[in-house]
Amino acid sequence: MMSYIALRDFSYAYTHPKKVLDNINISIEKGSFSVILGPSAAGKTTLCLAIAGAVPHYFGGSSAGDVFVAGMNTQGSTMQHLALTVGTVLQDYETQLVTMTVEEEVAFSLENMGINPNEVAISVKETLLKVGLTGYEKVLVTSLSGGQKQRLVLASVLATNPKILVLDEPTSALDPEGTESLYRLLGQLNKEQGITVLVVEHDIASVLPHAHQFILLENGKLLASNTPENVLTFMASNQVYMEAIPPLWQLKLALECDTNYQFEPWRREQDAIAELHHRLQEGANKNA
Amino acid sequence: MLELRKVHFAYKNQSHVIHDVSLTVTPGEFLAIVGRNGSGKTTLTRLIMSLIKPLRGDILFQGNIIPHCTPAKMAHHIGYVFQNPDRQIFHDTVTAEASYGPKQLGYTPEQTATFVNDALAVTGLSELANAYPLTLSKNQKQRLTIASALAMQPKMLILDEPTSGQDARQRDQLLQLLIKLNKQGTTILLVTHDMDLLSACAHRAIVMAKGHKVFDGTVAELFQDVLQLNNWGLTEPAALKISRQLAAVDVKPTTSISELSHHVATLFRRG
Amino acid sequence: MFTIAPLTKLILTVFVTIWAILLQSIPALTLLITCQIIILVSTRVDIIVYKGIASLFIFAALLAGMQYLINHDTILAVVTASKMIAMTLVFFILLATTRMQDLSAALVLQCHVPYEYAFMLTAALRFIPDLLAESKAIQEAQACRGYSPQGNLIRRFFSYMAIIKPLVLKAVTRSETMALSLELRGFGNRKVRSFGNKITLNARDYALLICMVTLTSYLIIHIN
Repeated sequence: MMSYIALRDFSYAYTHPKKVLDNINISIEKGSFSVILGPSAAGKTTLCLAIAGAVPHYFGGSSAGDVFVAGMNTQGSTMQHLALTVGTVLQDYETQLVTMTVEEEVAFSLENMGINPNEVAISVKETLLKVGLTGYEKVLVTSLSGGQKQRLVLASVLATNPKILVLDEPTSALDPEGTESLYRLLGQLNKEQGITVLVVEHDIASVLPHAHQFILLENGKLLASNTPENVLTFMASNQVYMEAIPPLWQLKLALECDTNYQFEPWRREQDAIAELHHRLQEGANKNA
Repeated sequence: MLELRKVHFAYKNQSHVIHDVSLTVTPGEFLAIVGRNGSGKTTLTRLIMSLIKPLRGDILFQGNIIPHCTPAKMAHHIGYVFQNPDRQIFHDTVTAEASYGPKQLGYTPEQTATFVNDALAVTGLSELANAYPLTLSKNQKQRLTIASALAMQPKMLILDEPTSGQDARQRDQLLQLLIKLNKQGTTILLVTHDMDLLSACAHRAIVMAKGHKVFDGTVAELFQDVLQLNNWGLTEPAALKISRQLAAVDVKPTTSISELSHHVATLFRRG
Repeated sequence: MFTIAPLTKLILTVFVTIWAILLQSIPALTLLITCQIIILVSTRVDIIVYKGIASLFIFAALLAGMQYLINHDTILAVVTASKMIAMTLVFFILLATTRMQDLSAALVLQCHVPYEYAFMLTAALRFIPDLLAESKAIQEAQACRGYSPQGNLIRRFFSYMAIIKPLVLKAVTRSETMALSLELRGFGNRKVRSFGNKITLNARDYALLICMVTLTSYLIIHIN
C-alpha cells in the first residue's frame, strides 16, 4: 500500500550534475509527525520543496525518480493543485508576508482559493485564535516582532486547512517559550486533527516529545529514516552528526554504555526522571 | 571596564524599554545576557554601543562617560556582531570585508593585513579569503562578521544571538571559538537563548525581564531557583533539571551531562 | 473622503489630470490646487503626507526654474509647475485616503486589470518600511565598523552607495522567495479568486461621478 507521502529513488540537481538530493527513498504515513534533521546543506530545504512540488515545477533543474503526495505524483500535478493539500512555511518567513495587516494576510490565502468573504472572516478569526494572535487583526505586518511574524505565517498557512504541513526551521526567531508553544500547537494539530506534519529543525530536544519519525540527511544522502529512538541510536553508534543528539539522549546513551541497562526511549526529561528514580530506588531498596 | 548607572531608555511611543539598569563589566569577563524576546537584551547592547542614547543615567567605558559618543568611536574598543549577517556585509571579497573595519579605524595597510589574516585564521575562513561573501553559507557569513569585528582588535566583543539558525555542529564550533577568544583576554557579552551554550562558556549572567535587570550573578546562582527561571521565560539545562529531581535517590545536582551520567552509573553499580 | 469608493477616487484622479491639462490660466489652476489642498486638510491625513506635498512644491519650483531658464517666460514656468502640482496632488489624495487592498480590488474587479499587476502595488508598499529598516541596519553596521560620515557631500554620497548593493541584492533574493511563496499559496489562480473588500459604489459615488463628467464637459466646451 502506498504511503501518504513517498519518495522513490528521488534525486535532484538545481544545476546538473551537482546533486542536492541523491537517491532518496522515504515513506511518511498519514497523520505522522516527521522531523528532517542533518547538518547545513544536507538537502533538507530541497526535500521540503520537493514535497510541496516546487522542485521541480518552480526551480526547473533535473530530477530523477518520483515524489508522491497524498496519492498524486508531484510531477504530474501543478503547484496550485498541491497547494490545496500542502501548506508550506519557508525559512525566510518575513518575505512570505505580503499584505499590510494581520487579518489581510490570513485572508489572502483563503481569497486565493476563492472562498467567499463571509467564510473568510470566520476562518481568519479561528486561525488567529489558534496561533495566539487574537486582537492583532488590524496591526500592520511591518510592526510585528520576529516571533509574531512567524506565527502569522503559520496562521496564513493553517487557514486553508491543509492536510500536510511542511515547515522549514519555523522557530528561528522564537525564544524557548515560543518554540515550546509552537511545537505544542503543531503536536495538537497533528494528534487532534490528523494533520501530517513535516518539519526541519536543528533543536532536536524541542521536537522529540511530538515526533514519530526522524529523517536524517547529510550531503544529499538519506542516512536514516526511522523512529526517533532508532535514528538517535544510529547517530551515536555510527558517529554521525553527534553534536545534534539532545542532552537527554546523550545521558541515556552514555548510561547504557557505562551500565548494562537498556533504558526506555525517553521523549521528555520527565520520562528520564521517572525511570531513573524507579531504578535507583529499586537498587537502594535491594541494598537496604 | 564598562559601567551602566541607572540607565533609562524608551523608543518613541513606548513606555520604558530599559528601566533603571545598572551594570558593571570587568575586563576578561564572559557575560551572558538572557531573557524573553522583547525583554530588552538587544536594546541594552545597543545602548552600550552608542547606537541609541539613554534618556537618563550614564554609561561609562574605561572610566569615561560616553554621552556624545558615536558607534564609530566605540568601534575602537568594541566589536559589535549583529544577529543578521546579511545586513553587515558590503564588500566583494572576504578579505576586503574584514579589512573595512581596521581601515576605517586608521590602521596602516600592513597592520590591517596582519589583523585580517589573524582574524580569518581564528574563524576558520583563511581558505575563503578571496571568496565572494554572498556565495557563503549562513554560518560562514556569521563567521565573517565575527572576523570583521575581530580584525579591529577590540577589547570587548558583543554578539547578538550568534547561534540562531545554526546547526548543532556550527553551534559547537562557535562555542569553542568564543571560549578561545575569552581565554586570550577578550571580554565577551553574549545575548543568547541557549542555556546549554551559556552554561558551557559564560562566567556570569544577567537576566532581563520587561526592561528591568532582574538577576545579576554567576551562572550557578542563576540556576538555583527553578520557579524564577520559568517566570523569566528561561529553562534549566537538561542535566540540571534531571539531577535535581533525582535528589531523593542521592543524585547530586550538576549542569554537565557527562558528570551526571558518571554519577548515575556509579549509583547503579552500587545497587 | 475615506468612505468614497476607490473606483470613484480613481476616476477623480483621471478627471483631475484632464482638468489640469485643459486649464491654462494661473487663477484656474490655483483654484484647482487650493480645492485639493482643502480636501486633504479636511480629511485629516497623516503628517507624512504634508511632508510629501512640501517636497512636491519644492520639486515644482525647481521645474519652474528650469523652464524659465529655457524659455525666459515667467507665466509659462508658473503654469507648467502649477499643472504638475495639480496633477500630482490628486494622487496624494487617492493614496492617502484609500487602503491599498481596496484600491487593488477596485482595479481588478471594476477596471479589469489582471490581479497580478494590482497585487504588485500592494506588495511593494508592504515592503517599503522593511527596505527602510534594512538600509538603516546596514548604516548602523557600517558605523559599528568605524565609519563616520565626513562633511564632504561627495564622500558621503559614495559611502551611501555602498549600502545600495546589499539592499538591491537582498531585494532580488526577497522577490525570488516571495514568488515561490506565492505559488505555494496557490496564487495566480485568477479564475477563482474572491475579494473581501468593500468597494461597491453607492448613491454618493454616482452623484460625484455625474458632477465630474458635467464639469469636464463644461470645461471642454468653455475652452473651445
